[in-house]
Amino acid sequence: MKKIKLSQDLEYIFSLALSIVLALIIGALIILANGKSPLTAYASLINGSLGSPYKMATTLAKTVPLILTGLATAVAFSSGIFNIGGEGQLYLGAFAAAYVGFTFTNLPGLIGIPLALIFAALAGGFYALIPALLKVKYGIDEVITTIMFNSIAILFTGYLANYPFASSVGKMGATEMIAPAYKLLRLVARSKLHTGIFFTAVIALAIYYLMEKTSVGYDFKMIGTNLIFAKYGGINAERNMVIAMIISGVLCGIAGAFEVLGNHYRFLQAISPGYAFDGMLVSLIVKNKVVGVILMSIFFGILKTGSIAMEFETAIPSELVLVIQAIIILFIAGEKGFAQILRRIHAKEGVRGDV
Amino acid sequence: MYREIFNITLLQNTIRTATPLILAALGGLLTSHTGILNIGMEGMILLGAFFGVAGSYFFESYLMGILFAVTSGIIIGIVFALFVIKLKSDEFIVGIAINMFAGGLTMFLLRSIFGVKGAFSSPRIQPLPDINIAFIDKIPILNVLLNNHSLFVYISWILVIAIYIFLYKTPYGLWFRAAGEFPEALDTVGISSDKIKFASSILCGILCGFAGVHLSLGYLTLFTENMSANRGFIALAAIIFGSANPLMTYVAALIFGFFDALGIRLQGVGIPSQFTQMFPYIVTVLVLIAVVKRERDKKALQAKAGRIDKSQSQAAGNLTR
Repeated sequence: MKKIKLSQDLEYIFSLALSIVLALIIGALIILANGKSPLTAYASLINGSLGSPYKMATTLAKTVPLILTGLATAVAFSSGIFNIGGEGQLYLGAFAAAYVGFTFTNLPGLIGIPLALIFAALAGGFYALIPALLKVKYGIDEVITTIMFNSIAILFTGYLANYPFASSVGKMGATEMIAPAYKLLRLVARSKLHTGIFFTAVIALAIYYLMEKTSVGYDFKMIGTNLIFAKYGGINAERNMVIAMIISGVLCGIAGAFEVLGNHYRFLQAISPGYAFDGMLVSLIVKNKVVGVILMSIFFGILKTGSIAMEFETAIPSELVLVIQAIIILFIAGEKGFAQILRRIHAKEGVRGDV
Repeated sequence: MYREIFNITLLQNTIRTATPLILAALGGLLTSHTGILNIGMEGMILLGAFFGVAGSYFFESYLMGILFAVTSGIIIGIVFALFVIKLKSDEFIVGIAINMFAGGLTMFLLRSIFGVKGAFSSPRIQPLPDINIAFIDKIPILNVLLNNHSLFVYISWILVIAIYIFLYKTPYGLWFRAAGEFPEALDTVGISSDKIKFASSILCGILCGFAGVHLSLGYLTLFTENMSANRGFIALAAIIFGSANPLMTYVAALIFGFFDALGIRLQGVGIPSQFTQMFPYIVTVLVLIAVVKRERDKKALQAKAGRIDKSQSQAAGNLTR
């Protein structure tokens, strides 16, 4: 039994590697079509993301929101509830954290920071709860509702940052700065890597423990793989889906909080360039596995940080990595089909060989 | 103020804003009849919008814009079908992948071809023509309401009726519906249900291309990043509301279009744009709740009458995973 699982894992890792290579080749062709050398471009991508301690720190800083939103996706998706509303939950979490940070300015960091995180977690969790209830109570497709909720939250926080909580000085569409006590410590000079990465690591461990070592995680996955069987086995699917969704929203809310406390020090109306969607891709690529989410987040972090350097040095727009990311997931989605076709070709050749 | 907002122009705008929704929804309802839930419509619309602008810009011809958009729709429809039908991939993941791909690709091409970030417009881009129907000119209200709309408004009307007839009055339509409900039965009479599904995916790509080109060349003459603005998902809600029936789906598209148009007009009277832009999204959620209530009432009635009409809700049933 163990052996079968291991060989399945190996097969998957092989097809993942193949998908990444193929996507990078397609990326190379696009670079060629733009009249640039793929080798130079990819070299500057690697150098720009891993070439020095500062660059590595920048890459690692990028992985924080990816890991958190990736884990959020992993928990929800493996429980069979499709939370695509991470972006909205992230925005509400970010605003909630900023609100605490610019309102309770006299609190010491030791109390203020946890308070901001709790507010962010509550905001994200509550915002995820609504579509979850709509799904389990009324059977309303959560994919559509969470997508709609994204737009609503982004617009709503945009309103808050432009009108009632608009900063009196400087930027448009931004709140006041949070009090200095709330700012998370930066770990490497000039980089944006902050202590939130440790907290993220603890959360990742906790989610790993939850999903792999507890009966709750077992129930989640059972619901995700076979709902009817899970119900037959006496698992309360509705309740578990709602819980998974809340955990998912909480994680996205915290991801938003870190963008405020560790990165921008205020809420901005376009604070996330789609982190939750990237996190979703990360999780989908690794089939919602916690360890995979962490590794793939680092890979995406490298792509994202490196693409800026690549753009600077070769004038290839950094958006290229968005295309590469999407192609990876497409190939991964086709993994089983490809494998089957290969096997069929193999079998045919085998038959021919026998004759 | 009330009169400035709620007047005939609002209804005229409603028809205009409903058009991209119904065009995409017609595509999505075709795939939903064949048993495929297409989450990727959002990306398909976005690609259509981009390539519409690109074609129109390079050839200074709106016809080339349409041709480019349709071509992109066919290609992405084939990709979707290849993965979902041939490779048996998860249609949800493929849809998500297409959306992310479209978002990334259009941003990338916007910068690498046109050298701009965010939005692209140019006097070279030729918009779609408005159509003037001479005999309506003389009729007072109808003239404002129905005349001088952009080309695809009229195409969408024709398509609503054509696809309705196709689905419910022709044998091909029967094949489409059978491909979703009883694929084995279809296969046993020698018609490949996979081929029908393939056809529906490509048609969906084309119709989403129409929706996109209407967005970027029909009521605006520019392309902006993510200009599809979740219309692909609102279209999905319209299909659910309309139980995948083209006529009822158009009613849903008009409802969403109305709130879209209302939002745009309310911006003019000083309500923050963030709220007015929210309208279509909030209404989408409310409509989905209303659908549940309607279905429950219907079921309760049927239970009273002692019969269960299964076929009615079948196509809508295909929409749930």
